[in-house]
Amino acid sequence: MAAANKRVVIVGAGVNGLVAACLLAREGHRPLVLERSDALGGVAVTREFTPGFRASMVAPVAGPLLASVAADTQLEGVEWLESPARVFLPAVDGRGLTLWADEEKCAAEIEKISPGDAARYRETRNALEAMSRFFTALLETIPPAMDDLSNRELLRSGRLGLRLRSLGKRNMLRALRWLPMPAADLASEWFENEALRTAIAARGVFAARLGPRSPGTGGRVLFQTGPWGDPFAPVVAPRGGMGALAEALGRAARTAGAEVRTEVEVARILVTGGRVSGVELAGGERIDALAVVSAADPARTLLQLVDPAHLAPSVLARIRHYRINGSAAIVHLALDALPRFRGVEGNGAPSPALSGKILIADSVDAIERAFDAAKYRKFSDEPFLEATIPTVLDPSLAPPGKHVLTAWLQYAPFDLREGNWEARREDVLRATLRLLETRAPGISSLVAGSCVLTPADLEQEYALTGGHIFHGDLAMDQMFSLRPIFGYGRYLGPVPGLYFCGSGTHPGIGVTGASGRNAARAILANLRRENSHR
Amino acid sequence: MATTYDVVVIGGGHNGLVHAGYLARAGRKVLVLESRPVLGGAAVTEEIIPGFRFSVFSYVVSLLRPEIIRDLDLVRHGLEILPLDGTFTPLEGNYLWRVDDHTRTRREIARFSAADAEAYEDFGRAMVRVCRFVRPFLGAAAPDPTSFSLGDLERLLWLARRYQALDSEDKFQLALLSTSSAVDFLDRWFETDPLKATMSASGIIGTFLGVRSPGTAYVLLHHYMGEIDGTFRAWGFSRDGTGGLSRAIAFGAQAAGAEIRTEARVAKILVRDGRAEGVALESGEEIRASAVSSSLDPRQTFLRLMDSGDLPAEFAENIRRYKFRGSSGKVNLALDALPEFTCLPGVGSHLRGAISISPSVEYMERAYDDAKYGRFSRQPYVDVVIPTLTDPQLAPPGKHVMSCFVQYAPYQLAQGSWDARREEFGDAVINAIARFAPNLPNIILGRQVLTPLDIERMTGLSEGNIFQGELSPEQLFFQRPVGGWAKYRTPVRDLFLCGSATHPGGGIMGAPGRLAALEILKKSPGKGA
Repeated sequence: MAAANKRVVIVGAGVNGLVAACLLAREGHRPLVLERSDALGGVAVTREFTPGFRASMVAPVAGPLLASVAADTQLEGVEWLESPARVFLPAVDGRGLTLWADEEKCAAEIEKISPGDAARYRETRNALEAMSRFFTALLETIPPAMDDLSNRELLRSGRLGLRLRSLGKRNMLRALRWLPMPAADLASEWFENEALRTAIAARGVFAARLGPRSPGTGGRVLFQTGPWGDPFAPVVAPRGGMGALAEALGRAARTAGAEVRTEVEVARILVTGGRVSGVELAGGERIDALAVVSAADPARTLLQLVDPAHLAPSVLARIRHYRINGSAAIVHLALDALPRFRGVEGNGAPSPALSGKILIADSVDAIERAFDAAKYRKFSDEPFLEATIPTVLDPSLAPPGKHVLTAWLQYAPFDLREGNWEARREDVLRATLRLLETRAPGISSLVAGSCVLTPADLEQEYALTGGHIFHGDLAMDQMFSLRPIFGYGRYLGPVPGLYFCGSGTHPGIGVTGASGRNAARAILANLRRENSHR
Repeated sequence: MATTYDVVVIGGGHNGLVHAGYLARAGRKVLVLESRPVLGGAAVTEEIIPGFRFSVFSYVVSLLRPEIIRDLDLVRHGLEILPLDGTFTPLEGNYLWRVDDHTRTRREIARFSAADAEAYEDFGRAMVRVCRFVRPFLGAAAPDPTSFSLGDLERLLWLARRYQALDSEDKFQLALLSTSSAVDFLDRWFETDPLKATMSASGIIGTFLGVRSPGTAYVLLHHYMGEIDGTFRAWGFSRDGTGGLSRAIAFGAQAAGAEIRTEARVAKILVRDGRAEGVALESGEEIRASAVSSSLDPRQTFLRLMDSGDLPAEFAENIRRYKFRGSSGKVNLALDALPEFTCLPGVGSHLRGAISISPSVEYMERAYDDAKYGRFSRQPYVDVVIPTLTDPQLAPPGKHVMSCFVQYAPYQLAQGSWDARREEFGDAVINAIARFAPNLPNIILGRQVLTPLDIERMTGLSEGNIFQGELSPEQLFFQRPVGGWAKYRTPVRDLFLCGSATHPGGGIMGAPGRLAALEILKKSPGKGA
């Protein structure tokens, strides 16, 4: 059949688009990946922002990438740098707290500030370790179709239930209780020390329009920590920044037989006779396709790329209420030297304490207060930030002896009630430096260059609707089967032949490649089904 | 030798009384022990100010299960529900008024938005369909997906079958109601801000969450259920206040043979060899029973009335972790005249329904922000009713009682104590209403301000939580109050729970009391020892 020779077009060469391309190619398809920018990776991209200084521009670190994704794509040529420190919390009073990847070392550090918490840390880590396979399976699951819960679907859900069951009654009940909880409550259940609780709370609200007291943020913590069996998520990035991962995935996709083209912008997804027939490029050129897989965000896909005439009113209503306004700004600093954080010992060689995420937030309540501003669409007066200094482990990103610091600042709502982000870019930089100065006095004098990405910039430069790095808020009503919208939580779009594979699908949290892999499995199954019916 | 009972029930709240009624009907020898002189728990009517009778705590009835009214023959025992029609939201220079009359409500909403007037009817129909699906949940114990027992699997499968039969759009609404915030849910239907604000209030009642917090759409559904359910179409007042309702249940239970003692405060649940065998009163008296049922909340039941040694450590830990977080207060006012609302002056029927101080979504959300950091709301959400307009006997002729339910009043204050700040709180509530009805301060003859601490002291509800614990997702269904222990049984043999801390939760519903009784009867169908 002619149709069988037609290609699958993938819109967007982000990590998920490339993973999907790779897996489709391995199954004999010849996917064509079209990327509007000049670089692969989408949010996983390394750029020079100041002469001699390079940074992972949007996603600072990997999710980490799931082992199954690395295996299935036969990923090669990535040198992963896993940071020995997971979180460093420099305190205003000078005593810092480093939460290490190594269990013994971490417990010893916690012991110093809160002996009870050292025991709790071990217990929680053990529990999460025992549950890690379930959480990995959760990320790797194609969610059940809640709109059409057929017997077959029921059986599939039953299978995930069995996996849950295999945790044993105690951990099973824990998982079910923890997932819908607010991160603040989860943090209180795990620890009594405020700094430790703050580290958990920050994880729960990362890139979210939610506060630590919002129900469901516990689940966001578990999506990021559960698969790795540690209450503090690992911090992993490739040498050369996140762009190196994208390039390696690009190579893997091409090796597998996919075609990947950059600087080709898809303007429209074409629908003929109620079925996707191809794409039209910005230049007007048309490419026929058997299927179009969108790695772009769901709002962009359904409200800009597809003509609304082809969508049912219920679908349009649902996507119009999809919450996709981002809440964070990103600041990259080129530094002449390593900043000296209070609570970090030693001179000379960069301390391994600074190799992970550096969290600047006073308390769980301080994060909640920062969130309050976002509720009223205001830039927080007292935001919190999470920084990484990638050059601690990867000096190649800056000239010798110099460093790059990337800060995630929350909350910076895309949809400001008053004013616009163009006018507030300087405020973002000022707020970032002010916060950093409280923990690393003198850091401002080290700044040789900077780059600010407001949510508006993220939308403009990275084609992220609302500047949302996760392609839409990960709240309970936009998760799992409900992601992106009810009825289309299984990577199959609302028009036959249209598929989703981006972060706007389950699980869509961090650069794990899970969405791309799950999507590829769903697409392959559906293409096979269509083929057999033809 | 003291009498031996089949079941001794701790607490004469509405659930305890319903529970006793069902057990007595089945021939069990039952004794209810109530610590206060008056029955009803949080559903009591008392003369707080001479001549004025108040539904002191809970004040409206909507969720009471029709089967309970039938089974305990409550109407014959004096239950009378008077209509409470409509919700009136005063605004600056305007008002939003919804009544039971569709055409009128439609016209009122259309003053704000024609689209909303249209959507309001569709919304009502959609909610009815979802409630019809959810209703059986209230009539049966929650199936436990973690148990894998045949009964649970069967029940889950039955639910799945019913779910399959739902229309796709209804499935969608159900999914949203289970996961969304009240405002995000309502945003999909309406554009009128005060309409969304007022409707979203049902999502936060008794809850330490804001109208924009995920999970509050479920609480909204929980409240909506009563408006739909069979016997009573709308919210209503019980004649002579909620105490009238408690009295009817008590009469029903007594008629079935239950014994009830007031001013009998339980000091301890007697446990031997992992089995409950009775209770000891504060007076020292011991009462033996084949089973003990507590309608008290889990903290009271397990942590106050029992030795920690009687409980498995993990269970006790889970009980300590169970969230109460009382967030509501109550102000009861004796009035010399009726309040006059600037936006709609005069004594109209708008005063006969609920009056909701919820002018905007932002107002509601900011009220919550105060509570999060341990302050009572400076501009609180208030649900006001004036029951004397429907039931004049509650006050001397021409005078009125006014009941003001308030959120937020966090149990834990960041500064000061509730005892020191009670009146300041009362003033904030009166000011919030006076903003729309300026004559209010001048017509107050007397007032009773109830903080969550007062609610705890007077009713025994821990932290003053009116639902005996938050209706948050991790404390619902098979996880209420604790995962694996949602079927009214406890790790202590022959000790049962029958209060709002069990499925399906709070409100004057009676379902927990009934379901717990059925559970006891199921286990030992024959007449007790």
